Amino acid sequence: MVRAALSQNRKIGKGPVRFAEFVPSATVVAASLLAALPIVSTSGWFPNFGYLVLIGWRLLRADPWPAWWAAPLGFINDLFTGYPIGFSIALWSATMLALDLVDRRTMWRDYWIEWILAAVLIAIDEWLQWRIASAAGADVPFTMMLPPLVISIGAFPLSAWLVSRVDAWRLGR
Amino acid sequence: MATARPGWSRRAQYGLFFSFLAVIAGIIVGLILLVVSLVAPKTFENIRGVALDVTGPVAAALHEVTATAEGLVTGADDYWDAASQNGQLKRERKAMLQRMIEAKAIVQENRELKAILDLRQHSRDTIATGRIVGSSFSSPRRYAIFSAGRGDGVKVGMPVRSADGLVGRIIDSGALASRVLLISDRASIVPSRLLRDGRPVIAQGRGDGTIDVRPLEVGRNPFRPNDIIITSGTGGLYPPLVPVAKIVKLNGDSAIAVPLADPANTSFAIVEAPYEPAAVAAETATATSDAP
Repeated sequence: MVRAALSQNRKIGKGPVRFAEFVPSATVVAASLLAALPIVSTSGWFPNFGYLVLIGWRLLRADPWPAWWAAPLGFINDLFTGYPIGFSIALWSATMLALDLVDRRTMWRDYWIEWILAAVLIAIDEWLQWRIASAAGADVPFTMMLPPLVISIGAFPLSAWLVSRVDAWRLGR
Repeated sequence: MATARPGWSRRAQYGLFFSFLAVIAGIIVGLILLVVSLVAPKTFENIRGVALDVTGPVAAALHEVTATAEGLVTGADDYWDAASQNGQLKRERKAMLQRMIEAKAIVQENRELKAILDLRQHSRDTIATGRIVGSSFSSPRRYAIFSAGRGDGVKVGMPVRSADGLVGRIIDSGALASRVLLISDRASIVPSRLLRDGRPVIAQGRGDGTIDVRPLEVGRNPFRPNDIIITSGTGGLYPPLVPVAKIVKLNGDSAIAVPLADPANTSFAIVEAPYEPAAVAAETATATSDAP
């Protein structure tokens, strides 16, 4: 904040865009809708785009949206990605709660801690997907989940960077 | 909700507390819905269909763009080394023509023999034709989005095949698009047989785009690399004699195969009616009566 105020090229008279408070949730929905891309993946190594953007926003800001919005956002993700309905609702709400608890505990934050937090959350996501798939009759070995896990963790800084760009745009920074 | 206590304002404290309760409620609702969708997958059929109708046509429209781009790349590739390819294709065509005449003769003989035996010939009704326009991206499950839905007569449980081979079966159907469980999904089991000697085998997906093939009879591993697996028609869902997969690697007493119909490169696919609807209905009836 201080650094932003000190920088020379501040755009004077530029404020937040209209509906700025809805921009974060809109980007999460847009990321969920990436599932409609006409790419046929036979290995399933793509990251869970909606979840990456959700934790990207939540790690950037404490209140990108009211915490309970995670449930309807998760519902939209379930519908478009083909996960069993309820999976993202529960996981995303639990993520909001878990990150609130983490916010109370952490004394300081930097990029590495945020990346590690995101990696843990992504790993939990992949593990739960694996458990639920086996509960639904598709028990694949867990080693099959490792490539998408590594790819998702590697993709997190990129999604966090995109989220921070969108955040700067919506606040007119 | 960022800090433990947002100052002395009673109102802010209550707001924080209620948003905490709302998140807990979200988790509970999500878990209940998850259990319902695992125990009774048909509950959310309609709402899933609506979501498919929203994304299906978009994916279908975008598919044209990617198909054109891919076509340009592979099209340019075809001009490379064209002369020797041409010669090879001519030789293959000659050999193929001979095989085709043989095959036609066999079909005719087969028809006569069947007429003698008075076997009922199944009519293979094509319900709908469409394209594979998308897929599940990040999941251990292997689904694809198919560009025809209930409006075209597609119903849950119908087999999907392309010119190259079996693709899978419909598990969700919207009015305009439907979702296909690919044969490479772990939950997909296709009763098949080995084309070489007709030995019955089971083809189960491995979730990573390949298929695990096991013989029904215990014994020596009967597979060889490049063996072709075709459907047997057992169970009544998939029609017989549809190519399924090609063996690429032996793996203990089973083998790993790749589907012959690669969903990523399948241009058109057709939906057929279940081969023996009566058998499928009887099986589902027993399955539901077995379930508590």
